[in-house]
Amino acid sequence: MSSIKISNLRKIYGSTPAVDDLSLEVPSASVFGLLGPNGAGKTTTFKCMLGLARPSSGEILYDGKPLAPESFERIAYVPERNVLYDWLTVDEHVEMNRRAFRAFDPARARELLSQFGVDHRKRVSALSKGMRTAVMVACAFARNAEILVLDEPTGGLDPVNQRHVLSLIINEAAKGNSVIFSSHQIGQVERAAEMIAIIDRGKVILSGLVDDLKADRKIVEGIFPDVAFSLDGIANDPRVLRVDRTERIVRLLVTAGAGEIAARLSASGATGIRALDLNLEDIFLYAVSPVTATTDIVTKEQSS
Amino acid sequence: MTYIEWLRIRNCLKVLAIILVILVALAVVLRVSVARYMSPAQWVHHIALDPGTHESNVTLPDGTKRMILDNPGEQMHALIDDHGSAGTHIEVTEPSSRAHKEKSNVSVGSIHVVESRHGTMTTTIIDTNGAVPMLYYMAIADIFALIVATILAAPLAREINGHLELTLTKPISRLRYALGAIGVDVVGILAASVMTVAAFYLCQLLFETPRLDFSGVNTRAILMGIACPLAWYAMLCAATTWLPRAYGALLGLIPLGLLFVGLLTLVPASNVVALFVHDVAWVISRFDPLTYVSVATPNSEGSMDYSGANFGFRISMEALFFVGYGALALWRWQRVEA
Repeated sequence: MSSIKISNLRKIYGSTPAVDDLSLEVPSASVFGLLGPNGAGKTTTFKCMLGLARPSSGEILYDGKPLAPESFERIAYVPERNVLYDWLTVDEHVEMNRRAFRAFDPARARELLSQFGVDHRKRVSALSKGMRTAVMVACAFARNAEILVLDEPTGGLDPVNQRHVLSLIINEAAKGNSVIFSSHQIGQVERAAEMIAIIDRGKVILSGLVDDLKADRKIVEGIFPDVAFSLDGIANDPRVLRVDRTERIVRLLVTAGAGEIAARLSASGATGIRALDLNLEDIFLYAVSPVTATTDIVTKEQSS
Repeated sequence: MTYIEWLRIRNCLKVLAIILVILVALAVVLRVSVARYMSPAQWVHHIALDPGTHESNVTLPDGTKRMILDNPGEQMHALIDDHGSAGTHIEVTEPSSRAHKEKSNVSVGSIHVVESRHGTMTTTIIDTNGAVPMLYYMAIADIFALIVATILAAPLAREINGHLELTLTKPISRLRYALGAIGVDVVGILAASVMTVAAFYLCQLLFETPRLDFSGVNTRAILMGIACPLAWYAMLCAATTWLPRAYGALLGLIPLGLLFVGLLTLVPASNVVALFVHDVAWVISRFDPLTYVSVATPNSEGSMDYSGANFGFRISMEALFFVGYGALALWRWQRVEA
């Protein structure tokens, strides 16, 4: 059963759709990564999920039920920006959480704060950006929540603490809880998430299990002897998602049959042919990168 | 859920407490430096020292210590009943030539002086520890309560302006949160009133044991002293919730703006423009809770009528403002998005 199910979510500001017919499911006991360029609609999606913004249409269910105030006993949220009270100490934030949430564990919060190197006696105004993020993360993970919604939970943190946050995320899934998080650090998402969705301009443009997406996609690269070359219809092959041409070099993003397409490319006169595995960053960049002046890119998915 | 609002109130009341402690300290200084000039007992002591004065003392069955001073040469007779902490009653009869030229009936705090003339003689009756009208206390408490209400009056705007992601992800409905925050602020404003009354009571206690009068106009003053700051708070709360980004400016400018509007209502209608300005200001001032603050109304003879006429209307308007402005704030809060 899905822990979170979002169906046909739309959020329109004025006449601009920030989220456009977005659907996704986050299974129980899993880590789900939400990727997208700036302004793609990740934060708006989170806000709609948590009732911070009112969806224009669509449905959001948690274990089959719509969000209610009492749901927040089970849902922890780390927002993208600093929302802490500058005039309060870290300890007072811990106390605020203790009073607000029944399952909040102050000792766990202090332990996490200590691990992040945050002095809990300090006022928030005296903390760096990274330390403020750490306070929000520590309070969220001390909530013993079943669902964690984390919007850029590593923003401003140093690499050591970023790694620590990833460990906490993975640990939550191991405990049977669900985590949905966004990050611009795609390497982190690849390390922690089992499933991802890439959204751009409010739409999901790619989603699935990380391993499947990586296994399904390969780059076939070849070099032609002349700038003016023909692909002899390879670009029209349904398995070829995208063709990038830079001078004499051609790169084909293929979903299957990489060997066969490499052979066809060789038959067209290309040399130095090789099939490359993709990492999540490549998949993300191919999914969201626009056509540029320096690269002649044909995005078949978009043109179709 | 209202922990943050409690902390805000704690900080605000802490500052108020410091100010009140300074006032009490000043009262202590005043007590030490000038009290001996103000004491009725000291005055009696001077009479007793006059040549030819015969003094006799007796304790009455109720414990009152009575001192009688007679000076046949000066035709002076004084009777002093010392009731201890309940005060002192002094009656002095002397020739009118020695008394004040003008007949004077004065009340200063708890000291009441009544002079009466009969023939060539004047009797002066001084009662200490008379009833002190709560009206005095409430007038001061109202000022402090209004200041505290103004400082606290943006509980929802402060959350909208940077903390909504924390506030709205607590396991409580928006309405309950807002009602809780406003309720906590109401407690804070009332606490400010109580603290002020207590501090000024303490100041008076340095000089005498005050006996407070809660009757009649004083009861109305207490009710108005509670209702007005709350209505004022609700008005500012509504304004700041609707314009949260400018809440600081609103809290500073609205009081000044309404003061200005109040002054404009006093513009004499000497020409069309003045009449227009007056009328517009008058209409605006109808929405200002401070407009209805009064426990007395001027009568046709030009003096004040303390009988309580119109008080029901005025207090109802304050209550209506509290509920109405509060509802406006809540309505807006329900629709806020992060």
